[in-house]
Amino acid sequence: MHFFDRIAKIDRRIIFLLIGLAVIIPLIAPLGLPVDITAPVKSVYDRIEAMPEGSIVVVSIDYDPGSEAELYPATLAFLDHCFRKNHKVYMMGLWAPGITLGNIAFQEIAPKYNKEYGIDYINVGYKPGGAVMLLTLGRNVADVVATDYQGLPIDSFPLGRMVKNSRDMDLVMTFSAGDPGILHWIIYFNARFGTPIAGATTAISAPRQYPYLSSGQLLGLLGGLKGAAEYETLVGRVDRATAGMDSQSIAHVVIVLFIIMGNIILVWEHRRKK
Amino acid sequence: MKRTLPLTIVLGCGIFMLIAFFVPVRWFQDASQTLQTWYLGVIAFFVFIGIFNLVRINVLKIQHKRRDWQFSIFLLIFLAGMLLAGFIGGPDGTVFLYLFQHFQIPLSATMFSLLAFFVASAAFRAFRARNPEATLLLIAAVLVMIGRVPIGVWIWKGFPSLVEWIMSVPNTAAKRGIIFGIDLGLISMALRVILGIERSYMGGKD
Repeated sequence: MHFFDRIAKIDRRIIFLLIGLAVIIPLIAPLGLPVDITAPVKSVYDRIEAMPEGSIVVVSIDYDPGSEAELYPATLAFLDHCFRKNHKVYMMGLWAPGITLGNIAFQEIAPKYNKEYGIDYINVGYKPGGAVMLLTLGRNVADVVATDYQGLPIDSFPLGRMVKNSRDMDLVMTFSAGDPGILHWIIYFNARFGTPIAGATTAISAPRQYPYLSSGQLLGLLGGLKGAAEYETLVGRVDRATAGMDSQSIAHVVIVLFIIMGNIILVWEHRRKK
Repeated sequence: MKRTLPLTIVLGCGIFMLIAFFVPVRWFQDASQTLQTWYLGVIAFFVFIGIFNLVRINVLKIQHKRRDWQFSIFLLIFLAGMLLAGFIGGPDGTVFLYLFQHFQIPLSATMFSLLAFFVASAAFRAFRARNPEATLLLIAAVLVMIGRVPIGVWIWKGFPSLVEWIMSVPNTAAKRGIIFGIDLGLISMALRVILGIERSYMGGKD
């Protein structure tokens, strides 16, 4: 059998093994490739830097554990930045599992800056209803938020009393894996109330947001694990996203080599038929 | 009556909400706000309906010993376990957090991680330049894949700028066209539902 015939019929388990090695080896022996910063990520960072101390940032956790690998590092880096700049974080979620992920992130970051629940940050829990909920939230928060995620009255917290409607929100940052998510915030919140929206999405969803970046409806975007790594670099936090960049680089190179090999086989098969 | 009443409600509410969006009259806005608050109450019930339906389907599967019925037992056990852990300990409960962090997160992440292997296999077998359009798509895909990771910068410093151009110009143009098409379709579908032409949401035969 010709060499290219053997390659064309290669057992896919060999492909799986090569991808597995491409991911695992750089985690054990890091390459230390530098992470370049792109404009959409820098926009988010610059906005947080520019906002006055005590600004209220609404953080919407709109993802589930399936997207945790890409979006949780971005959540940690963003919360770290907000707390370092002494901004107040008002967390909620359009996806139910996101609330627990958000709480875990708070438990990891808040103690580092001696932040106090109810004063510096709060979690008001999962809010169903998508577009209608966001329209109601922007008009009057009390119609949507009566308690925090533990069921305690929202007015018993100083931060809970500070946010009455969209005018009290200085920025919305949504960590979004799908629907409802970033598009809902842009279409129903930014378009209606004018509140600036920034977002972090999975890599596969990032290209879809570029029209909104271009029009200015989306202030900035952290796309996938790379976006999270860029933000970690900007805030000086070397963590999971940065560590994952070497693996992602090698895995992408391996996939591109597979594509090139597949097309070489295509050309060879055409020539053989002639 | 069985069909007239729901169609009338949809027509009335649909036209009212449409007008309320554009009419800045206090009465209209308050009534619109009330309707939206009622909607949120109805939506909350859907969570219970979803859980009830999930339990019903899996119990029937176990009763009639349908294919893979054994997995339904595990599903119901873990569903009950998470519900009890959440109700007893609350969202910060030790057991609930342990199950979430050590079962749900790793299992969900694993399911998505499998995609990486299948994408690699598909890339080898299916990403072929069979015609000019496929070739263009392939070149763009390879450039973006390499340019979006740090190794792209290491290979050539101009890669990130090239990729940003691809994302900001041709990608944005194409996505914008698709978004316009989708939104025009959504407007058309919404009008069809409001006017009662589209009735699939009612179920049953027309």
